[in-house]
Amino acid sequence: MDDLQNDLGPLDDLEDDNYSSEDNSSKEKSNLHVVYPMLAETSRETGFHRSTRACLEQIREALLHHRWQAAAEFMACYPQILEDPTIGASQQYKEVIWRMSAEILHNHPKSKMEDYNNIYERMKHSGVRHFLMISLEHSFHLMHHGHIEEAKHQLSVAESWRYGKESAAQFQKTKLIHAYRSLLDYIIWCDKKFTYSNNTEYYDLRDNQDMQNYFRQASVNLKEILKQPGVWDPFILSYVEMLEFYEDHEEALNVLNDYAYSDTHPRNPNAHVYLYQYLKRHGASERPLMKELKSLHLLVPSHELMPEYSALLLQSDEETDIQRALGVVLDLLDFACWRSNLDVWKLLKAIIQKLQLQEDWRNSVAEKMAARKDWWPALHFTRFHASKDAEENPELKGVKASLTKILCPDITLKYTA
Amino acid sequence: MTNPMDYQFPQQLYPSFYNGGPPDFVLKHCAGNWGCYDRVIPQGSSGPLSGWTFASRHQARGETWHHTEPVPVPLMSPKNCYLWPSKPPNPLDFTEHMQNFFLDHCRDAFGCMAEILGDNFEQAQMEGVGRESVDNLRSTLDMKKFKMSPLSYSPNSLHAYCSLLSDVVPAVPNELLCSLLHEELTEQRDRALFSEGATGGALAFVPFPRGGSEPQRGCLVYPGNQGLGCLNFHRVEMQSRRGSFSLLDASSSDPFRFQLKGPIRQISCASLFDDCCVAVRSERLCGVWRVGEQNAPRLLQVVDTREVATCVSASPHVLGEVLVANESGAANLWSVGRGMQKVREEDVNLYFNAKSSWRWCEFSAHPRVVTYADRTGVELTDVRESPISSHTLFHINNTSECRSGERLILSRYLGDVHTFQHLITTQYSAYIMDERFPCLPMLKWDHMMRSPPMFCHAVCGSLGSSGSGARATKVLLGSQNSQEITLLQYSGGRAEASSSRGPLQALLRPRDSLRHLPVQIPHRLDLATSRLSSPAAGLTCIQKRGGRKGSGEECICILQLTEAGDIFYQTLKTEQLETSRPPAPEDEPILKEAMTSGAETARQLRPPHPQPVISDTPSDESVIGPTQDVAVPGFVTETPEREQRVLDANSDSSAEGREPKGRGRFLKQYGLQVVVNDEPDRVSRSYKRVKGGEGVRDNAAEPSSSDCATGPTERLPPVKLSNGALATWKRWLQKSRGKTPRPCCSQHLTVKTEDILLLDNEVRDPTEEEEARAQSLWRDLRVCMSKRSLLVHGAVSTPLQAPGAVPVADAVDTEAWRDEVSHRLTLAWQSEGAWRAWWEERLGLNREEKVKALRGKRKREKEAKRAAGRHLELSGSFTSSASFQLSDFSDSTGWSSAVDRGASSDTDGNLPQPEGFWESGMPRVATPSSTELERGNQQTPSSALTLSQALKRESTSANRRRPECLAEDYLTALFAPQDKTLQPHSYFLEEESTAHHPAPAPPVAPSSFQRSLLQDLSQSASLRSGLSQSSQGRLGQLKKKKSRMGF
Repeated sequence: MDDLQNDLGPLDDLEDDNYSSEDNSSKEKSNLHVVYPMLAETSRETGFHRSTRACLEQIREALLHHRWQAAAEFMACYPQILEDPTIGASQQYKEVIWRMSAEILHNHPKSKMEDYNNIYERMKHSGVRHFLMISLEHSFHLMHHGHIEEAKHQLSVAESWRYGKESAAQFQKTKLIHAYRSLLDYIIWCDKKFTYSNNTEYYDLRDNQDMQNYFRQASVNLKEILKQPGVWDPFILSYVEMLEFYEDHEEALNVLNDYAYSDTHPRNPNAHVYLYQYLKRHGASERPLMKELKSLHLLVPSHELMPEYSALLLQSDEETDIQRALGVVLDLLDFACWRSNLDVWKLLKAIIQKLQLQEDWRNSVAEKMAARKDWWPALHFTRFHASKDAEENPELKGVKASLTKILCPDITLKYTA
Repeated sequence: MTNPMDYQFPQQLYPSFYNGGPPDFVLKHCAGNWGCYDRVIPQGSSGPLSGWTFASRHQARGETWHHTEPVPVPLMSPKNCYLWPSKPPNPLDFTEHMQNFFLDHCRDAFGCMAEILGDNFEQAQMEGVGRESVDNLRSTLDMKKFKMSPLSYSPNSLHAYCSLLSDVVPAVPNELLCSLLHEELTEQRDRALFSEGATGGALAFVPFPRGGSEPQRGCLVYPGNQGLGCLNFHRVEMQSRRGSFSLLDASSSDPFRFQLKGPIRQISCASLFDDCCVAVRSERLCGVWRVGEQNAPRLLQVVDTREVATCVSASPHVLGEVLVANESGAANLWSVGRGMQKVREEDVNLYFNAKSSWRWCEFSAHPRVVTYADRTGVELTDVRESPISSHTLFHINNTSECRSGERLILSRYLGDVHTFQHLITTQYSAYIMDERFPCLPMLKWDHMMRSPPMFCHAVCGSLGSSGSGARATKVLLGSQNSQEITLLQYSGGRAEASSSRGPLQALLRPRDSLRHLPVQIPHRLDLATSRLSSPAAGLTCIQKRGGRKGSGEECICILQLTEAGDIFYQTLKTEQLETSRPPAPEDEPILKEAMTSGAETARQLRPPHPQPVISDTPSDESVIGPTQDVAVPGFVTETPEREQRVLDANSDSSAEGREPKGRGRFLKQYGLQVVVNDEPDRVSRSYKRVKGGEGVRDNAAEPSSSDCATGPTERLPPVKLSNGALATWKRWLQKSRGKTPRPCCSQHLTVKTEDILLLDNEVRDPTEEEEARAQSLWRDLRVCMSKRSLLVHGAVSTPLQAPGAVPVADAVDTEAWRDEVSHRLTLAWQSEGAWRAWWEERLGLNREEKVKALRGKRKREKEAKRAAGRHLELSGSFTSSASFQLSDFSDSTGWSSAVDRGASSDTDGNLPQPEGFWESGMPRVATPSSTELERGNQQTPSSALTLSQALKRESTSANRRRPECLAEDYLTALFAPQDKTLQPHSYFLEEESTAHHPAPAPPVAPSSFQRSLLQDLSQSASLRSGLSQSSQGRLGQLKKKKSRMGF
């Protein structure tokens, strides 16, 4: 067996080399061609290897061309590869079998739940390294088909599973499994809340031990996954909901702030949206709301909350806020999806009307339009726009036409009312 | 056509980790992300358990799209094109290229020096080594270095000059030429494998009017002519015909053509309202055309980018704005008519050193924010700010689950599909990025393509037209070298997070189409194969949305351009089989008519008796059978009685003969109109089918799929090639012509080798003979072992003979050859002494000796008369001594091998015999090996009997001659004892071959006999002056014994 291992050693190295040698620029180009390691011929091949490789190729082709039945028939033969002591033990062959089988089952008209369970269970236990991955996918499959309890069971089993050293990938998988299990806890918690709320008082519900157990179980893991850099929208939503229910506002704000402003997390617009929504729900004043929207504006100037932001700014009495509101709306109109939005144009008109009360409104408008004047006419005010707007939305055309002179005073536009 | 709801951002995104640092993930299998759901998010609000649903990022269910034809169909008739070899050149072949250059263009290669040296050569060389000879000389020289030259037998003097002048004669020094060629070939190889210049694709379609749901009309923009240097604007229309869609040229209009200076690499177009701006990139020129439904294409401006341009991209926001990136790393915003504005310039790659000068630019959702991409990632760059501010959109390192070695191939702004989405492809995966949430991909597929996807086209799913909500967006990825097209579907990106729909689907490739088509005559097949497998150069798609009335079905038509200038299209229909069936009966009668008539004609065509060709039809049948079995039920469902007839026809023909069945089947399959008498060649050839492994696979797979009748996807009969498509293909195949890059070459001097080779052909197969010899050797060895004797050379039967000398000539009748030469030869074979004596006699050298001998003879005669009674005793002593010598000799040396050489020649029968041989009466020992010898040995024809007869005759003739030369013989025997050895030697052969003496034969060089002959000659020459001491000493023993002869 040692010999076999030794024999396999250099093979693996070769494969690794194919991928890792990327310094050479001539190799660079050939590297762009994908050589699938399992489909490439190797130096030490027996006839068995050749035929299984051919079989794999057939399955692949059948899958790519959506010939599911053919793929299924080839797939029935392919697991023979696992009997081969030299390569059958390798992890990737098991993974291939699992993935391809699952793909066939996803699309085969006659696939049944038992088949799924069969393949998931078998492949899960055929090797240690992909146990977590398959467990997770299995639970996804169960969730997808509404078997939430079973999915939770699967996740609990996977949660308690330990094997040797944890690689980075395994670590992440473990975290995910924990988080998803907690998500299911939350769902059960919601279920309990729903059933209890029908016959008990709201305040009694909060003291319900059963629900509190679920909350506690869930919160540990959810808190944990939020520390990892990443996108955790469903987890944070469920966590915050439970915290709100138990009136732990401090923790909820902490979590949301952390999610929105921590440097480790990617700049997720939703984090600011959640925070903004939370603040709004709990009746925060305008300032923190505007602060939230401001940071969202920096991230996504085209966000759907921006009209709200500029409306908020417009309500403010400060001059700079109105100018800022103008900027926000103009930014919005830069984007294609807002360009023919009547509400935004109306908002712009309102802002400009309010701005006109100021003395140097022309300057402030010119200031905002300076960077836009060479392309805004082409973007909004061409003859084609005029005809199209007249046809589709005459009201929009009226609003736009009234603004042309103000926004682009120096240019004669063909966009006329 | 932006969706006004694009500003919505998904309320929750799928969970994912955000990783930093270089990716170390290596995918070791080939299944990509098949079979996984890749995260789910719960949907529903806090409620009972049953209220919750989960949406997965990869959704197994999606729209299914089916091909209307099993092959892509050529759009236009083929134009002339240059076909490059499909195999990339090997840089190490540069010697071959040099050789071709020297041979084909010797005047260019050596012209200068030939001018100068030619006159001198003419003066110096009597044999007239002229100017052309110098050319030839050079080519000879150079080829000798690399390969056997057909001119290698040119005069030696030429070779001398070659070595003298090798480094001055070529016009280009060899070293330089070599390195340049190698460089060029390397580049060509790289370009053949992956030519990044073609990124983006040179095929575009401008629909008129924009976004209409009527049968689509539009303008197809494509490069044409040889070398793809001609820009064509061609109006095309998608028409529905008998339920299947085909694309037809509007016959009324010819394309507008613009001839460009270089090959067109990329065409990018963007339309706004009814105007379209088409930006075209060739190597160093970029041009912008404007085309509309009403007006003809018009060139607006052309710019010369000093560096090689790598990207051109027309703005979807403002018509007439174009982004141009070039290899120096600069990205320019080109406002047509107003000039260039440098947007960004990077000397190095963005995130790490990928050693690539490829740059790419696209617009983004904001008209003044552009993406700037290289192989390492994509950045969003704001043009407005003076110190350019940019932030990462995609970064190989920071994107989770990027693989080690992954490189960005193409970045494309999907403005038509979603305002904020970008498609990014790498050699492994395709990513959907949302620029509102950069760095993290919204969606990721493993696209499973073998070569990197360089072309893409995204088709927006029509909104709610079919009443079932928004349809999925289709993304088509095309690769260059392998012509792959992959269809991906996804949805979301607005209120819901993006998720992929259904499995990815590989579409048809032109290079695979030949196996679905009638077989071509070989040269056309080759041509078509290489033409069809030329790399793809572009990809676009025409979408036909479902009509509002629900009559029309949604379909997409995918067009693919190849580097040969051909455009192929394939039409995909979404799964609405029940509705698509009704139009079919319209054309089915026609099809069936052809079918039945085909079968009937086939029966008429049937030859009276089966031909030998039939033997290969069973294999043919095994290929085609399943397809037909499936194809038949396709008809069956509607017209059962037809099926019966078809089956009858089948069983008939199969009972009566196989070939006709094949023909009939073919006809049925393609609904071919029988045109037997028109072009017999073409038609008869078209009956056969390609027997590729691919074909087997396809067909083998299909029958089983028909078994499984529950699912909608599996119920489909395999798509059949329609009449129209077949006709188009046939026209295309007939017209397709290609030029190979090296069409002609000058006549070379050729050496005819047929005569030389003829000899070899006549010789028997050497291996066979070798085997026979080995077997006889084994046999001999076994015999020897059973006798417990050694396998000496003499005991071996067959190996003794040289191969091919088996038929031994009859014994030469020396009497019949009475001329001088023959006589001399006979004597030479008899013994050296005899031969020498002949010469001595002829030259009169032995006159004195003769006289002396005569005198001695007379003296002896006198003495004999005196002692008449002693004569008998003398002869007796002679014989005894001869036998004694024999045993002595056999001990001594390996004469046998030398003797064998003599024996193997054709005069074996004429073995020289001493006169005393027969008198000696040496008994022949009958051993198994001697019979062996008689049976299988070299003397087989003449056997021992004839041999002995010949010997007897010879001895008698020798006896007859004896009176003349007896004395001379004696003399030579006396002076040159080696001659004596010859006499027992011939006997020795006989002895040795009977294996009577088991004495080991020490290895003796085969030439020892000749050497000794030479020695003999020299010695005998010295004999004339006197006795040589050495020879006396060497053969002292022999002399001693001979002394007993009584001299």
